[in-house]
Amino acid sequence: MRGKWCVVFPLLLLWLVGAGCSNYPKDPEKTLEKVSNGTLHVGYSENPPWVVKGAAAPTGIEADLIKAFAQSIGAQIQWHNDTEQNLLEALEEKQLQVVIAGLTDDSPWSKNVSFTRPFVELGKKKHVMAVVMGENAFITKLESFLHQQASSLEKQVQP
Amino acid sequence: MKAINHFEYPPDLQEVFKKAKRLEWISIGYLISTAFLVFMTMGNSQAMKTAWFEDLLSLTPAVSFLIASRVFHKAPNKDFPYGYHRVVSIAYLCSAVALFAVGAFLIFDSSMTLIKQEHPTIGIKVIFGHEIWLGYLMMAVMVYGTVPAIILGRMKLPLAKKLHEKNLFTDAAMNKADWMTAAAAILGIAGIGMGWWWADSAAAIIISLDIIKDGYTNLKQAVFDLMDERPKKVEDQEDDPLLQKVNALIEKQPWVKEHAFRMREEGHVYLGEGFVVPTDAEDLVPRIEKLAQEVEDLHWRIQEFVIMPVRTIPEQQ
Repeated sequence: MRGKWCVVFPLLLLWLVGAGCSNYPKDPEKTLEKVSNGTLHVGYSENPPWVVKGAAAPTGIEADLIKAFAQSIGAQIQWHNDTEQNLLEALEEKQLQVVIAGLTDDSPWSKNVSFTRPFVELGKKKHVMAVVMGENAFITKLESFLHQQASSLEKQVQP
Repeated sequence: MKAINHFEYPPDLQEVFKKAKRLEWISIGYLISTAFLVFMTMGNSQAMKTAWFEDLLSLTPAVSFLIASRVFHKAPNKDFPYGYHRVVSIAYLCSAVALFAVGAFLIFDSSMTLIKQEHPTIGIKVIFGHEIWLGYLMMAVMVYGTVPAIILGRMKLPLAKKLHEKNLFTDAAMNKADWMTAAAAILGIAGIGMGWWWADSAAAIIISLDIIKDGYTNLKQAVFDLMDERPKKVEDQEDDPLLQKVNALIEKQPWVKEHAFRMREEGHVYLGEGFVVPTDAEDLVPRIEKLAQEVEDLHWRIQEFVIMPVRTIPEQQ
């Protein structure tokens, strides 16, 4: 029994890693695939300076970040404006993919939705975006994008 | 009545015992470092959470072994006339309860994750400016947590048998089994990467089942030990062959017509009583003293053997 597993397990792992090299991790529900060159549903709730309501589309630090991110994956943004609570509920039901509302990582919502890793810190508050749970390829892509913007963001939020 | 020996291990085993204590200190330091790393990387993986609990939990046998080892060799006194041997059995019970309870909790927790269809999120982590998928870090930590644990487990097993130390044996067995936990966790995380959100919880359930199985076996044995079951071997729950030797020794005494005896475990050592029907009353006291000494000399584990002369042996069930 033990001897058999010693052989099977490394092979299995090798196969998993081999199979996954190109696009790993993957999404259980293919969010990144659907959104790339498609439509990205973003919920926003006003919270200056992070999200500021505008005529056609919101502005502000987070809104600008999302616009740049959507451009990087060739996605059109469909904006949805609502209260933070309604937006996060819609996110939980996978009607949205991202919610921006100047959220911080200590928000009690983190149980039902996922947060990105903090992309900027201001006055000891770590700012995050809310994303649909478990879509790891999509989340990894967004986090990686936010990380690349980190240094310019730091300058932007400096008083 | 005579005083129970001050130190229960004979001189050659005291060295082994010191080595066992040293290994347990190493284990504790190592387990704490693993638990810390797993905690830092666990994100919201159910399998990693399960593995983290298992790491914390596997501290129990080591800690209870070290605590018991400061107590059990104390000499009997007015308040504790049978000595402190049983603290070893109590330590064993504590480890077993911890093992079983956490196994049960984890299986519930993992099943709920599956039922509620919670999809685990694993994002990226930035280490020294490099972005890396947290899943890979989790796998690396699992490997770090496994290899030395297996080696420590293998080193402890023979010591546990020599010392008749069930707590140490449980600990060693758990260390050795650690590789299964790690393998399950790694596969679970690799599965998440493949987009199989359920892989992680499924792995966690397998790990928990293994913990529960260990917990149940040991919990049963620990309770039986405290209920004075016949002495069993450390490595399996079979009768100790030492009982046969005691029986043979009493049987071959020419002055013993009939006999019966019972023995129980108190931690590492055995205490027991023999009932003999003597052929005649001649020299009864020196004969009994000599036989009792001979039984005790059979093995270091037989700490005290009391012999009682009787007229008849009652029917055994």
